Amino acid sequence: MTTTPALDKPSSGPSGNTESVAARVIRALLTQRIVLLAVLIGVVVVVFFIMDSGGYLTAPYDSDYMASSLINAVPLVMLGLAELLVILSGRGGIDLSVGAIVSLAGMIFGFAYGEWGWPLWLAIVLTAAFGGLCGALNGFLIAYIKFPALIATLATYYAYKSLAIVINNQRPISTPPIQELFSISRSVELPLIGGGLPDVPLGIFTFLIPTVIVVWVLLARTTYGRRLYAIGTNDTAGEWAGLPVKDTRFKAYVYAGVISGLVAVVTVAQFASARPDAGVSGSGMALPAITIAVLGGVAITGGIGRVAGVVLAALLIVWLNAGILLAFVGNEGSQYQLLALGTVLVFAALLNGITNRRYGGSR
Amino acid sequence: MSATVNERPDPGVPASEPPPVAPRPRNRVLPSPVSGQEFVLIGVIAALWIILAFATPAFFTAGSIQPLLVSTAPIALVGIGMTIIIITGGIDVSVGAAIMVCSVITAKLLVDQGLALPLAVLVSVIVGAVLGLVNGLLIAYGRVHAIIITFGTANIFLFLGLQIFGSSTVNGIPQTFDVFGRGVAGRTLGVPHAFLITVVIAGIAWWYLRHTAGGRHFYAIGGDAHAARLAGVRVQRRILLAYVVTGLLVGLASCFVIAQGTSTLDQSVGNGKELAVIAAVVIGGTSIMGGRGSVLGTLLGALLVQTVTSGVTQLGWNSQLSDLFVGVFIIVAVGADLIRERARRAG
Repeated sequence: MTTTPALDKPSSGPSGNTESVAARVIRALLTQRIVLLAVLIGVVVVVFFIMDSGGYLTAPYDSDYMASSLINAVPLVMLGLAELLVILSGRGGIDLSVGAIVSLAGMIFGFAYGEWGWPLWLAIVLTAAFGGLCGALNGFLIAYIKFPALIATLATYYAYKSLAIVINNQRPISTPPIQELFSISRSVELPLIGGGLPDVPLGIFTFLIPTVIVVWVLLARTTYGRRLYAIGTNDTAGEWAGLPVKDTRFKAYVYAGVISGLVAVVTVAQFASARPDAGVSGSGMALPAITIAVLGGVAITGGIGRVAGVVLAALLIVWLNAGILLAFVGNEGSQYQLLALGTVLVFAALLNGITNRRYGGSR
Repeated sequence: MSATVNERPDPGVPASEPPPVAPRPRNRVLPSPVSGQEFVLIGVIAALWIILAFATPAFFTAGSIQPLLVSTAPIALVGIGMTIIIITGGIDVSVGAAIMVCSVITAKLLVDQGLALPLAVLVSVIVGAVLGLVNGLLIAYGRVHAIIITFGTANIFLFLGLQIFGSSTVNGIPQTFDVFGRGVAGRTLGVPHAFLITVVIAGIAWWYLRHTAGGRHFYAIGGDAHAARLAGVRVQRRILLAYVVTGLLVGLASCFVIAQGTSTLDQSVGNGKELAVIAAVVIGGTSIMGGRGSVLGTLLGALLVQTVTSGVTQLGWNSQLSDLFVGVFIIVAVGADLIRERARRAG
């Protein structure tokens, strides 16, 4: 920081040459998103525990409740990771169509498993592959034809959303095999160590954790991951370094599509029905996913972002939302969830701006 | 793409108006009044109208065209503001939620206080401007990417709107706004007032963006905000202005939305409007990268989107199919623009 070029106020304030402990803590909170998120999660949990013991909540906010609310984290984390991949790829990367892919792929899953009687694993593979296909169209338009990502995915959002509704004439699919799938969102006791711990929804183990591990390995331990960070940081430099820029960017959208396909399976199981508007009703699934990614420290300009940040951000939102739901009577709670989501996002974005200006980064 | 010397990859800065390296005689400062994209749009809309006229004889009657123009008005009106924002390189995805807040406040006041028309419009416009001001302040002075801030404020506006709704609909809205509506009261010489007002405002915005220094500043900011500041443009104030103007237009558009509805306003008002508006703007040839675009294109884009929507219904198809066509039109319109732009840069 001492090497910062002399701006209007060179090294004034608490960030002098000898940093005090307080300054170092603030610096860690501001520059390391994971630290900040961990602290915020702690604050949220403690606040709700206190409110709970004070009797302000309509139902107990305890570890059982927190564990069972984790089922909401499954789609959120997975789609947040999908957004992580595409936002990392740079050049204004974003995917507005993930929610629409969830709807459409969910209908495909509904047909395959619910009506054609395919075995479950084959139906899941088909759904994931179909999601990948939807993502491939996005990736083709963005990486090869050079559409701005916002436009291409806005267009495919409309297209997929429309197809999902038209494909079965606006009707959901909820045949018996689909209804039995609901067991996926059932809570299970952990083996061996589970006796003393709260039961955790099954979807966490079958979908969430595998996805998190795969994406983490992909980003942190493979050539592809390094390439993705490289082209996201500087497209031109990547090209001159001989990286397959188009191919790398294209694949990011394909992977996002595959993840959306898997989310479609989870969503169908959760609703016990393949709903044509599953991913786009209300404010849809894309907005919360992008929010989670940004909150998790993913830079919208590309090239910066970590899996751990996205996971922690999703936990923060899920437990915050779960608490808010208990703090209000009736559907007031769901409205205050909107307020919380919006406020947290604006706060996180402003914080990113301050961090960049104060501790280096782009201006 | 192999990295040859001639064809360097674009470093991401959109060359909106290429620097006059070798000024040819026709290389004027202002682009021609009607761009190629707009000619294409006029052609496409004309073709669609002719096809629809053959497919459904009822299409080319006043009873069919007038509602089409009326329902184009709110999208086009908000689109004018969105065009300015996108020209500066920003975006506003909170307009749908803002429409909800404006219309619920205005509708409630109409029901409870029985406001007169001018006062009701004024209230709606002021509410819209305040919401726009919030966006503008956060984006211009927080220096955060517009899409993130407006995603956030969209949620907050939605919360505000739902709170004011109070978990029910607003019923018994008086017919104060009928002058903007679909009925006979909403027309003069067969032209719907809502559409007329939109065209007049679009004309003013078109002239302002094209022929005044202030208007050109928006393009300069979208081209390169840093260069614009060095050239003496008050970048942050300009950006703030863009969002406030959009807020004003959102307020007015909300009056049109109330006028087009029934006497009941439900909580889905404004839902998804932001995407429809952005679709209209990008179909109209405004570059999402900033620095290029026109209000005329937006007007045509909105008309195209509404023609598709109304056409699908009139053909008796599943009304949800219209979204598919809107998606296809976005791809085709922006794709054509990309190809033309590439050809222009190469040539």
